[in-house]
Amino acid sequence: MELGEKALRAIAEKALRAARGDQVEAVVIARNDSLTRFANAAIHQNVSSRVIDLRVRVVKGKRVATLATDRIDEEGIRAVAEQASALCAIVPENPDFGGLPEPAPIPSAPSAFVDGTARATPRDRALAVKQVCDAARGKGLRAAGFVSTNVQELAVASSLGIWAYGPQTTCEVQVAAIGDAGSAFGQRVSTDFATLDVRAASDEAIRKALLAQGPRDLAPGDHEVVLEPYAVYDIVGFLCGQLTGLAVEEGRSFVGGRLGQQVTGPVTIVDDPFDRAGLPRAFDFEGRPSQALTLIDTGVARAIVYDSATARRAGARPTGHALPANAFMPAAPMHRRLEAGTRSRDELIKDCRRGVLVTRFWYTRWVHQLRTIVTGMTRDGTFAIVDGEIAYPVKNFRFTQSYHEALQGVRGIGSELSLLVAGEAFGLQAISARVPALHLASFTFTGATQY
Amino acid sequence: MRRDTEHALVKNARIESVDREASFGFGVRAIADGAWGFAASQVTTAAEADRVAALAVEIARASALTKIADVRLSPVKPAQATYASPMRVDPFALSFDERIGLMIAAEAKLREQKGVRTTRAVYDIWREEKLFRSSEGADIAQTLTEVGGGIAAEATGDGELQIRSYPDGVRCQNQAGWEFLTDWDLVGNAPRVAEEAVALLSAKACPRDTRTTVILAGNQLSLQCHESCGHPIELDRALGSEAAFAGTSFLTPDRRGSFRYGSDQINIRIDSTSRGGLGTFAYDDEGVPASEGWAIDHGIFVGYLMSRESSAALGLTSNGTMRADGWARVPIIRMTNVSVMPGSAGTLDDLISDTDQGILMDTNRSWSIDDRRLNFQFGTEIGWEIRKGKRGAMLRNPTYTGITPEFWGSCDAVCSESEWVMWGTPNCGKGQPGQSAHTGHGAAPARFRDVRVGVIA
Repeated sequence: MELGEKALRAIAEKALRAARGDQVEAVVIARNDSLTRFANAAIHQNVSSRVIDLRVRVVKGKRVATLATDRIDEEGIRAVAEQASALCAIVPENPDFGGLPEPAPIPSAPSAFVDGTARATPRDRALAVKQVCDAARGKGLRAAGFVSTNVQELAVASSLGIWAYGPQTTCEVQVAAIGDAGSAFGQRVSTDFATLDVRAASDEAIRKALLAQGPRDLAPGDHEVVLEPYAVYDIVGFLCGQLTGLAVEEGRSFVGGRLGQQVTGPVTIVDDPFDRAGLPRAFDFEGRPSQALTLIDTGVARAIVYDSATARRAGARPTGHALPANAFMPAAPMHRRLEAGTRSRDELIKDCRRGVLVTRFWYTRWVHQLRTIVTGMTRDGTFAIVDGEIAYPVKNFRFTQSYHEALQGVRGIGSELSLLVAGEAFGLQAISARVPALHLASFTFTGATQY
Repeated sequence: MRRDTEHALVKNARIESVDREASFGFGVRAIADGAWGFAASQVTTAAEADRVAALAVEIARASALTKIADVRLSPVKPAQATYASPMRVDPFALSFDERIGLMIAAEAKLREQKGVRTTRAVYDIWREEKLFRSSEGADIAQTLTEVGGGIAAEATGDGELQIRSYPDGVRCQNQAGWEFLTDWDLVGNAPRVAEEAVALLSAKACPRDTRTTVILAGNQLSLQCHESCGHPIELDRALGSEAAFAGTSFLTPDRRGSFRYGSDQINIRIDSTSRGGLGTFAYDDEGVPASEGWAIDHGIFVGYLMSRESSAALGLTSNGTMRADGWARVPIIRMTNVSVMPGSAGTLDDLISDTDQGILMDTNRSWSIDDRRLNFQFGTEIGWEIRKGKRGAMLRNPTYTGITPEFWGSCDAVCSESEWVMWGTPNCGKGQPGQSAHTGHGAAPARFRDVRVGVIA
């Protein structure tokens, strides 16, 4: 259940009143998260938690301190505000700090809140899980994964007059269908539990798992690939992490000094906080209005995103992409979309004479940030494509590949977009993406595993 | 459970952030109708406790809709105890000036090196106070204090971004007091760290896609152990509980006691009593006492990290590895301290002298491993050629890859106890919803033969 704007405003205003500084910001994140996890075709972890976090940022001249608490009674709010004020008085000055952002009109965005999701019960989630487990068992497979329902409310207030509030619901199903010699994966995300297509995720995983049994060896090397949206999500995630003011400032972004230049093949990546089919939100975590941006336009680097501090250092304007105040990822594109193409998934496979179909990536990590080289594994459904058809399952590969260079060889873009979300970060669910399947000319597999 | 943390970052001559967090709440784990439920809240009133307990039971009953068999737990004697981790200098009792002063001094030293682009000095102090009570009669209060941090310098040029850090990224952490950071001498090591970051820009590239002998520094071996031994010995993975996310394990129950995991040189210990380790405590979050035992004994896989439920499935008892990341998370099996025990190869210099040709790799920069923990690939910040027993030219962008039992099977030397350090991983991700655990890994430098290196596109 949600707390509502009035309750969050009361918390924020108490913090603003209790703090002593030239400027004060209060961010309230209220979450009610429930997740029903299953493995070996039975629920083994089933959890629900209600958490309200209050983050208070106090500014005195060039001195800044941030304190957070989840103790949201009168004493807890007063204590965090007073302690932030006391700490702010003794921290050394940050000569680059330019003050908290000024208020600006916040546009309207489509609602991301569905009451039915907020009211989903443990039994509702368990019945969804049972549907998945029964379907897998019926095909001689074991099922693992989760069904979750989440309510998240965000409020930002500042002594400069900022007030912003937005509620959001999400629900998600992830399914791994597992046989004795192979597995496959399906995932769906929605704001509305009533329309969460549990059956589609389950059917996708089961159908593919039946094809995935008994994988063969296929030699690593450069292969043409068709990537399902789950794998594309990873590529978009790594690249968007580099499309920020901080990444450029630190010299680790592939678009540093290259805005206006061709950096990928003909793909377009936008950040669209107003996308009704995504998880829309009208403001960022500094209470600045959200802004839709085209980051890469048909392969040409066009824009990067800023919070107020990185924008000031770059001599740019904040773009409404601030995360909760932190030093390591202060801003990010949070509503990512790789624009759809014209080919169905089956057509992408048909267009590939000889290649590899990848369901998803696993444990992806930077090898060389500036060149966007990432290593990782394939997982849960990797297949050889021969003459435009899925021919046989293959053992999982390790890849070591520059992600933006991989996109230079785009041969086809899927016509359907999948909404996918990242796990929780900073105690909240802030980042989502809508991505299609992709057909790429070459992907470098540098090794293989034993299954 | 109450958790207090403070994180500070000094970057490029400015105080980039000072963050403190305080968290306080409770969680209830219940078995009803033979199945598990868990609920948690930050509102610590009697009425809320009633609501949360009832919700945990309601959730458990919903879980029972898919039940195949009732939950069965191995026995544990309910304990009544208190415990506080040892430290010399309480970090929370120091003045803020004392804490930040060390970072300002170290970061300033980094900046004296011409050519560095980004400099950082970081500390984290962390304290958790938790009370565990069970309907079986346990009543256990524990206070754990940790300190961590480090320094890092980055240099850029000619399409390269190079980083050097000390002691192990900026996240080297122990269960200790503030003395942990002062003992590492961050200020004294800063000039070398910055100089190496700049020198890496013009260093030779790691030889491309070839096989050679590799010596891993202790901090890199600790992460190698974490990823390729610590995770696969988690019994929940081996039994399939993490199959959809963290993955399973090539160390299946039928392999316990007979599977050759590594060479005779490899002895890996599970020990939640090690001083300083991030996995040290008196009791885990099921009330099971801390313990010590072998995971790998002279190369043979012999032991798992277990919970009460998973151990019962094998007819064993728990060795106390269940931990929750805060009050809002359910306990799951986590590494405690999983350490590669020292060998007899002497010092690192002795080991280099004993090596005709190879590469020394130091301090992790990149890490990845498959979901059964077989195929891995790591990169380190820096490498050095070894030729005829001498440390030679610096190498940039070193990487190595392999298959876990083949790799550990190729180990022919582990340095002696004088080189052994209790390293820590304060950010081990697992579980859904996500949980971040603090785990300890003692390690000394070790040598591996015929390793594939230089994998980069």
